[in-house]
Amino acid sequence: MTDPAEGAELMERPAAAWPSDEIAGLYEQHQRAIYYLALRFLGDSQRAEDATHDVFLKAFRKLDQFRGESSARTWLYRIAINHCQNLQQSWHHRHVLPNSDDAIWEMSAAKTDSPLRVLETKELGQRIQQTLDRLSEEYRLLLLLVADEELSYEQIGVLVGQSTDAVRGKLHRARKTFAALFEQSA
Amino acid sequence: MKQRSKLSQQQTQNVEHDARQETRQQSGQEFATADELLRFDAAQTAVPPHLAERLKESMANAGPPPRRSWWHRLLG
Repeated sequence: MTDPAEGAELMERPAAAWPSDEIAGLYEQHQRAIYYLALRFLGDSQRAEDATHDVFLKAFRKLDQFRGESSARTWLYRIAINHCQNLQQSWHHRHVLPNSDDAIWEMSAAKTDSPLRVLETKELGQRIQQTLDRLSEEYRLLLLLVADEELSYEQIGVLVGQSTDAVRGKLHRARKTFAALFEQSA
Repeated sequence: MKQRSKLSQQQTQNVEHDARQETRQQSGQEFATADELLRFDAAQTAVPPHLAERLKESMANAGPPPRRSWWHRLLG
């Protein structure tokens, strides 16, 4: 005969619930954006998962500090950027040579703007990651943020601590550099 | 008879449509900018489904979220 306590232990644990509707809504609405930023910024799916977990846990702990002056998306991005940058610094993942972007920019500057052609979407993510990895942290971050259509140039400027004009200028160079490197990776 | 020919016309159209789709896939896709390419990539990227459960458990272990202080509530 089975001991009832033992039987209870054998039963599946009920799924954990979100502590509040607010945090459930935050996760539901912004999980993809935060995970994608972490994934392409860190370049590793396991690290991105851990980072996304930590970002939302920090947000949960700091929920009382969120005043609603900025949008929830930019508030979460701020936590995510700080977290990912700290991870990169502490794990010595900074392999970028000084002025490497400038060198590629000079090389690509003469080229006319041409569309980015993709023949195989199967390994597209890998190719994008390789291209992003060759960019400086600043350019990578700017491109990832501008890819989010919910963010304005002004909001991106606030997130990276630069003026809107500086963001525009740097993004122009970042896009060119990305296109040149992406072409090389084909 | 008429119905059959109509059906075969529909089948022919389907085959042509499939062929066009295949050609498009073979010739690949074009993205005007890096932004467009990254948006496409983001849309294709799925968040690991078990992450939500992991997070719920961590939040449950972390205890209740801190309450807003009285001056915070007062000043908004």
